Amino acid sequence: MLFRYLFIFLVLLPVKAFALIEVDITRGNLNPLPVAVSPLAIDKSSKENFKKILKKENLGSEISMIVENNLKQSGLFNPLNKEAFLQEAEIANLKPRFEDWNLIKAQALVTGKVTFVDDKLRVEFRLWDVLAGQEMMALAFTTVPSNWRRVGHIITDKVYERLTGEKGYFDTRIIYISEKGPKTNRIKKLAIMDQDGFNNKFLTLGNELVLTPRFSPTNQMVTYLSYFKNLPRVYLLDIETGMQEVVGDFPGMTFAPRFSPDGKKIIMSFAKDGNSDIYTMDLENRIVERISNHPSIDTSPSYSPDGKYITFNSDRSGYQQIYVMNSNGKNVKRISFGNGLYGTPVWSPRGDLIAFTKLHKGKFYIGVMRTDGTGERLLTENFYQEAPSWSPNGRVLIFYRETKTNAKGEGFSAKLWSIDLTGYNEKMVETETDASDPSWSSILSN
Amino acid sequence: MKLSKTLKNGFLILVASIVLTACATQKKTTTGQLQGDVYTGSDSVEYLASGVPDRVFFATNETVLTTASRETLRKQATWLRKNSDINVVLEGHADERGTREYNLALGERRANSAKDYLMTYGISSNRISVLSYGKEKPVDSGSNPLAWSKNRRSVTVKAN
Amino acid sequence: MNRNVVVSFGLHTLLLIITAMSLPFLAKKPIDLPPIISVELIQITDKTNIPFAPKAKKVIEKVKEKEKKLVSEQAPPKKIKKQKSDTVPLPDEKIEKIKKIKDKKQNPEKVETEIKQISEFEKKELFDSNNIAALIDKSKVESAETSKKLDKITQDQDKEMDFGGLTLSEEDALKAQIFGCWSIPLGLPFNEDLLVRIKLQLKPDGSIVKTEILDHARMNRPGQGFYKVLAESALRAIKLCQPLRVPSTGYERWKNMQLNFDAREMLEG
Repeated sequence: MLFRYLFIFLVLLPVKAFALIEVDITRGNLNPLPVAVSPLAIDKSSKENFKKILKKENLGSEISMIVENNLKQSGLFNPLNKEAFLQEAEIANLKPRFEDWNLIKAQALVTGKVTFVDDKLRVEFRLWDVLAGQEMMALAFTTVPSNWRRVGHIITDKVYERLTGEKGYFDTRIIYISEKGPKTNRIKKLAIMDQDGFNNKFLTLGNELVLTPRFSPTNQMVTYLSYFKNLPRVYLLDIETGMQEVVGDFPGMTFAPRFSPDGKKIIMSFAKDGNSDIYTMDLENRIVERISNHPSIDTSPSYSPDGKYITFNSDRSGYQQIYVMNSNGKNVKRISFGNGLYGTPVWSPRGDLIAFTKLHKGKFYIGVMRTDGTGERLLTENFYQEAPSWSPNGRVLIFYRETKTNAKGEGFSAKLWSIDLTGYNEKMVETETDASDPSWSSILSN
Repeated sequence: MKLSKTLKNGFLILVASIVLTACATQKKTTTGQLQGDVYTGSDSVEYLASGVPDRVFFATNETVLTTASRETLRKQATWLRKNSDINVVLEGHADERGTREYNLALGERRANSAKDYLMTYGISSNRISVLSYGKEKPVDSGSNPLAWSKNRRSVTVKAN
Repeated sequence: MNRNVVVSFGLHTLLLIITAMSLPFLAKKPIDLPPIISVELIQITDKTNIPFAPKAKKVIEKVKEKEKKLVSEQAPPKKIKKQKSDTVPLPDEKIEKIKKIKDKKQNPEKVETEIKQISEFEKKELFDSNNIAALIDKSKVESAETSKKLDKITQDQDKEMDFGGLTLSEEDALKAQIFGCWSIPLGLPFNEDLLVRIKLQLKPDGSIVKTEILDHARMNRPGQGFYKVLAESALRAIKLCQPLRVPSTGYERWKNMQLNFDAREMLEG
């Protein structure tokens, strides 16, 4: 009896102390985060100086436009229309009136200031949480005025990282093959551009066929395939000096080159007598090592970011499939088992996934799978597309697509496309000419 | 009433099953220009000499020589024996329906198939070099099986 | 040879006809639709009642109006406690029990006499608890949802009856509101624990007094940077959605609420 009353008392007591209601929120929207990017404040004399040097009217708004564009292109943010901004750039940078920004539904705000000091460009910027009414981040740095576009990219990287938890990928470049002309006689040149399409430069003249360029880890060198003198070989190009040199002295075609993660070796395929195997060459001591030894075609090798493993494409099972092996060539394991042909495996910089091209029933797919082959996910389908390359944060894939030609053989085009790992934000990457074989650099400002 | 309906349905099933069995899963086309998957026409073919075609064709993803290919290569071997000072480059190609790097390897293997066959007819290997263009130099820019079949080839080119 | 073919053909045809006749879609049976049962959604509120007549509904509505006034007029929590018994009518049995507990406190000697009477009392109680069980049957669904962790206590149902979690419709209204406000950062990793639990203290009009992130320490742990981002997005959602869609009555039961933001479903898809 006593126990029963005690029990009831104890039960009712916590009730009187208001037991907690729990509500599970398992859905939200995938809408891009509304963010306001205020033009960077700039004083009159700085404005004049930059105008003189860079020929830009208002560098403050130019830089903020880069940030705005980057955030928009990522698909994760929705930069708000500047027309609606109520606060002036100068004032906003000191202490924003959050109610004003709240009015236009901004959840985050970027403000900043750019000045010309000691012949250099100095920028400081702040990221604000409008809803909480507090500063989230404040940074300042200095660089040469000609790097003004990179300033915008660096700010974006920092803002992106603070708001998503992921490292950014905006201060990067993309190297690719620029194409022109009829399908039967394409003129191909090596080209490089900023990730947002600006500062495009051609690195070769188009006199010989060039294919599949890849950055070195320091982004200073490029390795690619060139048909110079009608001999297809792997070459190295120094981006700054423009100097080219052939890699090794192979008595046959070398192709499909990549750098090792430490930048010391080139890994590639060497074809002889109908057989293609994977080899590495040390760039310092020029020592060549044979990694795969099989009568099948072994190609498209790609290192894991820690350098311990290599994923590659082989038809040793009868058809193109994806394999993983130790970097010394031992312990070869097949990891692709779905229906269709698999090719172009490339290891994510995060180490967790391998992206690939798949061909099945006449359609091409870009997909990802875990490094043990499980969890295969196809992201996009097309008449023809291949060769994904990862952004340095392992979130975005860039690849290329070609269109069908009509009965007359017209209408052919090749363009770069990109897609987010989640499958969202599939879009074309603008290039002056047709383009193929893209490769993404690592972050430049490291 | 019910019986006639049942009969009607039964007849439909019968017809349907007959139709099904008659359908082959693969269309065996011998449309004059394609045999199976291999190009047998003469559209893009050039000649090293009168009666000596300069190229052989392959099926999708294949590097084996067909009977027709071997015949062509025998003619080439004969011609090469007659003209012993001529060296050749065998250029291997692939169609566009594959990944770029693998196609480079495939072209090389196709050209080597042809080279090996020429060697069995006594042509020395230092007269023959191999070069692969993968899918980079199609001869027909169409996006259809016929165009692709014309592009899957190994071409013998005079080197001097 | 021919004869065999004819026999084979005949048998095959026979087989086909038999199959045809037994195929369900061919034997046209009349379509049996289950009779349409109209279902009326009953508002389950603090008082659990069996469906009431329309007139009674109006009366209850009036009572709710009065309660609303009471709730909003109340000042500090302490006062509310005292008035508890007025706003939420307890079945008589419970009041008796409380009285008895009070008595117990005051007169420890009385305990023994009560113990003697156990058997009779127990019988009575059993009967009563069954009654209560019947009454609160309908609230079982929500109590299951909102009181996962409180299941051990057998008297749970009683508790829910009095101070219930949110009703199904109340919970849905709040969820729908927050779904619209929560911008899930797409940049989150798939395979991690993506649960952020936030405790809220609310004003009667649904605006927020205080928020507290449970697992706060996780925000600054190395390698868990995404958790901070996730937590911040949940906080933004809450702030954006003010005033929250809270029930119009029973402020006491929902003024402290915990929202469990779980992004997994959205990202794994």
